[in-house]
Amino acid sequence: MERIPRWWWVALVGAAALVAGAFVARDVVAPNADGDAAPLLAVSLPDIEGRPQRLDQWRGKVLVVNFWATWCVPCRDEMRDFIRTQKSTGDKGLQFVGIAVDNADKVQQFAKEIDLNYPALIGGMEAMQLSRSLGNELMALPFTIIVSRDGKIAHTQLGPLKQAQLDSIVAKLL
Amino acid sequence: MAAPPTSTGFARKRSRANVGAAAIALAVSLIAPAVHGAGTGLPGLEPKLLPPEQAFRFSARALDPQTLEARFDVADGYYLYRDKMRFAVEAGGPTLGHAALPAGLRKHDEFFGDVETYRGALVVKLPITGGASGQSLVLRADSQGCADVGVCYPPTAQQVRVALPAAGTGPGPVVDAAPQKKGWFR
Repeated sequence: MERIPRWWWVALVGAAALVAGAFVARDVVAPNADGDAAPLLAVSLPDIEGRPQRLDQWRGKVLVVNFWATWCVPCRDEMRDFIRTQKSTGDKGLQFVGIAVDNADKVQQFAKEIDLNYPALIGGMEAMQLSRSLGNELMALPFTIIVSRDGKIAHTQLGPLKQAQLDSIVAKLL
Repeated sequence: MAAPPTSTGFARKRSRANVGAAAIALAVSLIAPAVHGAGTGLPGLEPKLLPPEQAFRFSARALDPQTLEARFDVADGYYLYRDKMRFAVEAGGPTLGHAALPAGLRKHDEFFGDVETYRGALVVKLPITGGASGQSLVLRADSQGCADVGVCYPPTAQQVRVALPAAGTGPGPVVDAAPQKKGWFR
């Protein structure tokens, strides 16, 4: 039986390592479902009135943290669904919190126009960096994280969150 | 023990080399899409979202010592806002005059009123004063845009270094802000 040359084994092991590495890399950049939301809940940001608000004040609720901006039309559109859902399901323990990457004036004006019924916190570049650390590599908006009652990340979403999907996720967590 | 250098021995070695090379090529071609596509694979968006520097490719060239030409190539399915577009020349360089932005596609935004957007190729002439042939300057473009799939990017800055040509020698070369991505087997 012929001896298989050593370089063949080296090439095979190298190729296997490349494949394995790629699969690991996929997990690292994929969303952190079931990850600990503690870093997110520890964040404190000012509300429209300038008062600092810590996210962990809502620990124990099903928390929908939505990064948005007035200059983001798809963000504004989905907020109408969020307002409706906050109204219908808030008493069951659901809490929306918006983090606006925007000027407080514009946020205040828009919040008034749409009768916003959940907190709007004001964030700048730091808020964008926070969203990136949660998986939003391109720092695009809207970006939404859903946190379970026991402080785990249940869902991460880049782009609009459709009502049907929101309902289905929230129903499992409430 | 090494195979003797007979014609049969070499033929066998070469075919094993071919199989080995084929195995490596197969493995690499399987992982290349995974590695290339990684980074934008969050649920909610198929196909993959481009980084802003690729969705809104910025480039520029000098037409002559008094005129720059800035260009955005907006990818299909993306658009830029006209009122968020800004150009500037880095401090210490020549002075940038008024940028005449072309009209965009008009749409009505219920919060901001009438807005104009750009799709496809956008070319803007930028007048320069106080520049000399051979002088190099840094042109910065700030833009903000969105994707039709339903996301918006934060304002993005891109820049290029452009050299002013000598008068009468025609336009200088196009300079891209983001280098072209090369595939694995280019």
